[in-house]
Amino acid sequence: MFDGLKDKLGSFREDVEETAEEKAEAEAETDAPTEADESSEGTGGPSSPADSVEAGADEPVAGDADLATEGGGDPEEGGGLAADEAAAALEEDDDEESGPGRLKRAAAFATGKIIIEEEDLEDPLWNLEMALLESDVEMNVAEEILDTIRGKMIGETRAQVETTGELVEVALRDALYDVISVGQFDFDERVQDADKPVTIVFTGVNGVGKTTSIAKLSRYFEERGLDVVMANGDTYRAGANEQIREHADALATKLISHEQGGDPAAVLYDAVEYAEANDVDVVLGDTAGRLHTSDDLMAQLEKIDRVVDPDMTLFVDEAVAGQDAVKRAEQFNDAAEINGTVLTKADADSSGGAAISIAYVTGRPILFLGVGQGYDDIERFDPERLVDRLVGEE
Amino acid sequence: MVLDNLGSSLRSSLDKLQGKSRLDEDDVEEIIKEIQRSLLSADVEVTLVMDLSASIEERATGEEPPAGTSARDHVLRIVYEELVDLVGESTDLPLESQTILLAGLQGSGKTTSAAKMAWWFSKKGLRPAVIQTDTFRPGAYDQAEQMCERAEVSFYGDPDEDDPVRIARDGLEATEDADVHIVDTAGRHALEDDLIAEIEEIESTVDPDRSLLVLDAAIGQGAEEQAREFDDAIGIGGVVVTKLDGTAKGGGALTAVNETGSSIAFLGTGETVQDIERFEPNGFISRLLGMGDLKQLSERVERAMAETGDEEDDWEPEDIMEGSFTLKDMQKQMEAMNKMGPLDQVMDMIPGLGGGMMDELPDDAMDVTQDRMRAFDVIMDSMTDDELENPRSIGASRVRRIARGAGEDEETVQELLQQHKMMEQTIQQFQGMGEGDMQRMMKKIQNGGGGGMGGLGGGGGGLGPFG
Ligand SMILES: Nc1nc2c(ncn2[C@@H]2O[C@H](COP(=O)(O)OP(=O)(O)OP(=O)(O)O)[C@@H](O)[C@H]2O)c(=O)[nH]1
Ligand SMILES: Nc1nc2c(ncn2[C@@H]2O[C@H](COP(=O)(O)OP(=O)(O)OP(=O)(O)O)[C@@H](O)[C@H]2O)c(=O)[nH]1
Ligand SMILES: [Mg+2]
Ligand SMILES: [Mg+2]
Repeated sequence: MFDGLKDKLGSFREDVEETAEEKAEAEAETDAPTEADESSEGTGGPSSPADSVEAGADEPVAGDADLATEGGGDPEEGGGLAADEAAAALEEDDDEESGPGRLKRAAAFATGKIIIEEEDLEDPLWNLEMALLESDVEMNVAEEILDTIRGKMIGETRAQVETTGELVEVALRDALYDVISVGQFDFDERVQDADKPVTIVFTGVNGVGKTTSIAKLSRYFEERGLDVVMANGDTYRAGANEQIREHADALATKLISHEQGGDPAAVLYDAVEYAEANDVDVVLGDTAGRLHTSDDLMAQLEKIDRVVDPDMTLFVDEAVAGQDAVKRAEQFNDAAEINGTVLTKADADSSGGAAISIAYVTGRPILFLGVGQGYDDIERFDPERLVDRLVGEE
Repeated sequence: MVLDNLGSSLRSSLDKLQGKSRLDEDDVEEIIKEIQRSLLSADVEVTLVMDLSASIEERATGEEPPAGTSARDHVLRIVYEELVDLVGESTDLPLESQTILLAGLQGSGKTTSAAKMAWWFSKKGLRPAVIQTDTFRPGAYDQAEQMCERAEVSFYGDPDEDDPVRIARDGLEATEDADVHIVDTAGRHALEDDLIAEIEEIESTVDPDRSLLVLDAAIGQGAEEQAREFDDAIGIGGVVVTKLDGTAKGGGALTAVNETGSSIAFLGTGETVQDIERFEPNGFISRLLGMGDLKQLSERVERAMAETGDEEDDWEPEDIMEGSFTLKDMQKQMEAMNKMGPLDQVMDMIPGLGGGMMDELPDDAMDVTQDRMRAFDVIMDSMTDDELENPRSIGASRVRRIARGAGEDEETVQELLQQHKMMEQTIQQFQGMGEGDMQRMMKKIQNGGGGGMGGLGGGGGGLGPFG
């Protein structure tokens, strides 16, 4: 997972570096007035390099006279392609008001630094946005990330071309880390320390891997010395009872289930009572998959949440999900507030943007990654390591 | 299907066009951006979005809305047509004996869809059977069996056998008297080589008439790779899009269709066996874009077009920049002269083309006097459409015919053809220009009707060849 995004982030860094380099070169050129295009260069006496450029912009372009036919158009659109380049260079300096102040600019220039401005980032940021979208980061989330990076980088001075990469890396790293590390807590510790039994309910849309994740976590807790009971709150789907039963048998875990068509809240409630009576540490409550557009089923989920009042609700979604991940995470969070997310099928997907989207909209951490169909195919989600891997040079 | 009742930004930016009958450059730019946004947020793959929006942009700027049609409807129709073009019609499913293999990612909805499709075929009067070859997922056998019971269709599976290939073979035999065999498979993804090898084996045993890829409507950019791998392994002849009763738009299906060169067969819209629809492009695309019934709109525009008939071929100066410069273009160019000024002056406005380059052209490249222009006009009226489009096809005998028809001498006809050739060469030099220069020039031309340009082209008299 995240390999695709890693590649693309690397090219964002290169983009910005390239732009900065070009900019440095451009400034070096305008630095020497004699080199500038004769036809467009003004007569302003250059007292400092930066000034000369401005003077040029304020003067009418010399070549203007030839352009009578043009009927009062913009002088810069007139004289020849070579002049055009110069004009563009002038233009860049023209709207200085919107950028860093003139003084800061001049100072930076004098010391051989350049300042990163909005328009320098435009192209690289657009490419970055496409990279995020290609990695399934939801569009609004991607835009928020871009805003953060824009805010962090614009107006930054950097001494040498070589360090632009570092600047980007820091901005990118911060922006991604902020999103992806949201609300992280020590899951194991919290479960260990909580009053027993700890009840965890799993929610999510159809087929994302709720039941399988419960089976995996059942083993996970047993390995950490905690007793588990599974409860099949999916009293709806064909084969749901048989599926979780088979898992329970394979794992030798206790399972509470009712007949198909029964009340899911009642099943979970029974399991909690069982756990209390039998000193079981953890109750893992499954629920039927449901789409957030079903009012009835979402109301049922609210009811389960109310009746069972779990210690933790984990939202399960799959890494292959695209833009919709945000919407369903929000709506499930509304119906039964979640404490964290399990992101499954990370083995099927190299982009991983869903993790970013979901963490961003729920403000809750991604806790686990599902990385296969085996019982051991579950990993703790480590945002720091992940961001390092994404942004780092390795 | 649930229609998106949240206002989409595409709709609102299109609504800004309400009342406008022409699109200016900014309109087009904004619309294209919104189209990209809306396709991207529908999970259509990024490069496919860029390709689609490029051809939409080309048409939106190149095609004139028919009279009585708003710019908004015009653009919507183009968007709709381009997308329909891409997805095509529903996968052809003859109502006869056949074998269908289902494949797809874990949890995408294969087993549910197998039962749904069997139900659908049974309602068409055929006898379907579902064969469950998933020996991996716990409860898979029971799930399929129960779903088939609900669909009231035959079912074959073997909970004690662990070789899916063998179950497939035995199952086809055991359900011999069924017309339609639907073979369900265990979930797998593109990166699981062993499981991909397994489904290849199942495929060669089953020898299906078509293999359908079952895709969750919510799948993201990964749809491309998944579709490609499944297509490589077993050949995908159609796509089933599931869970469309949610809010996901199903753009991944577009990606998959594009990647596999196939089409969409069925849509899944719920968990019960009846929740299945045959694919129908209008509803699907209208929903994908979060818009109302686009087909209806498209038809309305088409009617308007038919009514406008010949009026439709309004000439756009941009046209001469695309493709070849025909006599028709030359004719239009002559007609448009009063509005936009002569060609040589148009060229003067382009940075880099003024002065120097003009000097390199033959002196008379742009030299068409008013008299000659009139004569040319008459001559062109005597040409067939085909001759106007393909001036090169005009040989000596045609020149004779045209001259006779126009009451001009053959020499003038030759001159016209010569003139055209020179203008064409000039235009070809234009075509190599950069985007920015082009746009600047176009802006000038568009402003030409009023203001500064008027004095140059129209009033200037002696200034230009056509003036
Ligand atoms: N490759 C892969 N497959 C997974 C993973 N997690 C679950 N699956 C598979 O996804 C499919 C669906 O998993 P389930 O656990 O049944 O999903 P669910 O959310 O309980 O489904 P419903 O109860 O029907 O809503 C099964 O085939 C699982 O084996 C994972 O991390 N990687
Ligand atoms: N709401 C809704 N749910 C669906 C639809 N199609 C399938 N499902 C649900 O999605 C989940 C997964 O469906 P399955 O048919 O088990 O998927 P599968 O592809 O066979 O899964 P594996 O065999 O594990 O790979 C189940 O909960 C189904 O009820 C649909 O169109 N709408
Ligand atoms: Mg389940
Ligand atoms: Mg299945």
